Amino acid sequence: MPQATALVGPSRGQRRTSLLLALPALSLLIVFFALPVLALLLRSVLEPAPGFSNYVTLLGSSTYSRILVNTFTVSAVVTVVTLLIGFPTAWALALMPPIWSRLVFGVLLLSMWTNLLTRTYAWMVLLQRTGVINRTLIDLGIIDQPLPLVNNLTGVTIGMTYIMLPFVILPLYGVIRRIDPAILQAAALCGATRAQAFRRVLLPLVMPGIAVGGLMVFVMSLGYFVTPALLGGTANMMLAELIAQFVQSLVNWGMGGAAALVLLSVTLSLYTLQLRLFGTSGLGGR
Amino acid sequence: MTPFLEIAGLSRHFGSFVAVRDVNLEIRKGEFMTFLGPSGSGKSTTLYALAGLDTPTSGNIRIEGKSILDVPPHRRNIGMVFQRYTLFPHLTVAENVGFPLSVRRRPAAEIAAKVGRMLELVRLQDFAQRKPGQLSGGQQQRVALARALVYEPPVLLMDEPLAALDKKLREEIQCEIRRIHRETGVTILYVTHDQEEALRLSDRIAVFSKGVIDQIGTGAELYENPATRFVAEFIGDSDFLPCDVLAVRDGLASIGLSGGLAVDGVPLHGNPAAGKAELMLRPERISLSRAMPASGPALPAVIGDLTFLGSHLQVAAATLDGRALSVRLPFGHEVVGSLARGDEVWLSFRPADACAFCSAQGGS
Ligand SMILES: Nc1ncnc2c1ncn2[C@@H]1O[C@H](COP(=O)(O)OP(=O)(O)OP(=O)(O)O)[C@@H](O)[C@H]1O
Ligand SMILES: [Mg+2]
Repeated sequence: MPQATALVGPSRGQRRTSLLLALPALSLLIVFFALPVLALLLRSVLEPAPGFSNYVTLLGSSTYSRILVNTFTVSAVVTVVTLLIGFPTAWALALMPPIWSRLVFGVLLLSMWTNLLTRTYAWMVLLQRTGVINRTLIDLGIIDQPLPLVNNLTGVTIGMTYIMLPFVILPLYGVIRRIDPAILQAAALCGATRAQAFRRVLLPLVMPGIAVGGLMVFVMSLGYFVTPALLGGTANMMLAELIAQFVQSLVNWGMGGAAALVLLSVTLSLYTLQLRLFGTSGLGGR
Repeated sequence: MTPFLEIAGLSRHFGSFVAVRDVNLEIRKGEFMTFLGPSGSGKSTTLYALAGLDTPTSGNIRIEGKSILDVPPHRRNIGMVFQRYTLFPHLTVAENVGFPLSVRRRPAAEIAAKVGRMLELVRLQDFAQRKPGQLSGGQQQRVALARALVYEPPVLLMDEPLAALDKKLREEIQCEIRRIHRETGVTILYVTHDQEEALRLSDRIAVFSKGVIDQIGTGAELYENPATRFVAEFIGDSDFLPCDVLAVRDGLASIGLSGGLAVDGVPLHGNPAAGKAELMLRPERISLSRAMPASGPALPAVIGDLTFLGSHLQVAAATLDGRALSVRLPFGHEVVGSLARGDEVWLSFRPADACAFCSAQGGS
């Protein structure tokens, strides 16, 4: 409860101790994160000439804004799809006997620990024109021509959804497990149909988990590089690819910095919004 | 006439464990029935079957002659107050109480009026806008009670709703529950392991022991005529003495106590085949005198402890072969003033007030 913490907040001495304890981590952050970001910020407004020309180009040109739109659309779709798949999965995991849920978690973690490139190449094999999916669909007579599933945004969306799934399943599972089943039984006895119990009791209680998982996936998707680079096409780039191109191929640090800072500011504002709406409770702290 | 609520041959197995075995019960409309029994005796399991939250292994439950086993919980129209706190943590007290009405799509004005009345009933008007997390345990249970009553269900189930409350608050809410029962005529099934609470509230009590109902009756019936040793122990205080069954006629036994005392005409329960039994005496039905009584069975005993308890005197006595017996004497009894530790006295009783339970079956 916020009031309670405000009343019994940490004393000044305690605050100084915790600051001292955080010092190593804090200095690490400053040296390896804040300073480079600052340098990037400076380059984005100083190169090639002082001013905001880089930002104007980035947000003004139709090519670049297409990339921004692509990035946001793919991230949003990936977020929604992972939530739609992740919620029932987490629900089922919370209900199933512990032996089974442990098995599923094992598979989930194993896939997370497997090399990202390996997993992405595996999707390439599955999704390509002569891949398993297209061949199965053709053999079943559902389609005549192979579907273009790879080297475009569809491929990116499929691959990223797969990679992001654990990041919604784990927090949702945690939140759902903490809900007392007796509360849902009480809702049923109060006369709530399954749909009403879901919408009016379960969903509000799971909301913090949805917010945390959804935000995490959205933010990670915005800056994702490997999957779009491998499964995406050259015609439909995403933001991270653009940044890499500016820096690596074009050696244009000014534009690269501007794009990176657009990404960073969107991420930070989303995070702030989430904190406003749900506090830190969904993050596992109390 | 068909009973209002009928439980017929209800059993619930968990694997090889039998939590409830062949429970049969008929409840009249408007009756206050209490399930009384120790922890793990199957009270909650029976209640959950009634609520539809658990499916019995066998047996049936009927309301007004119609089986409700196939009716899902949300359409049974049964109210329930759980043993645990089950308020919706994201809703305020008022929203919690209004929940059953709002899922029934009642107009907002009606909801507000009824919620106000219910909160008044449980004396929580001032807490309407709080969240459950900001209430004490007792307040939460009162909100749960209001939530279970607000839609006026014909049957209300209560699973130890007051277990978490202190004595004063518990007695206060017991009074409320009795008043609500009187005023609304709702049929209540109430679970408790507190005999005083059961006696205070109920029209009839069903005593649960290890998944079966040992006896059903009014508090007075259970006290006067317990069917098993378990019921005798659970309702009221009791003394037990081992004895031999010498003869049985018409449910009355002749028994022999140690020391050669034979008593005729003692009501007997159970199968006397093994010839061993236990004699049950109520401490307040034992008479104490200094001289051996002229007639009737009497045991010589020695006074151990004396405890003055206001309206009565509690005497811990021991028979000559060392069996402890407690005796309760009304204050003002002729010998009370002169009694002292170590005195030799006679304890007498009327055979009809006593009861013998055969110890053969189950070893209970
Ligand atoms: N889901 C379950 N699986 C296995 N055993 C169970 C289950 N639910 C209840 N039991 C067992 O059934 C027995 C009866 O349980 P029940 O909850 O009905 O007891 P109770 O009389 O309500 O006790 P209390 O006063 O402690 O609430 C207990 O021994 C319990 O361990
Ligand atoms: Mg119980």
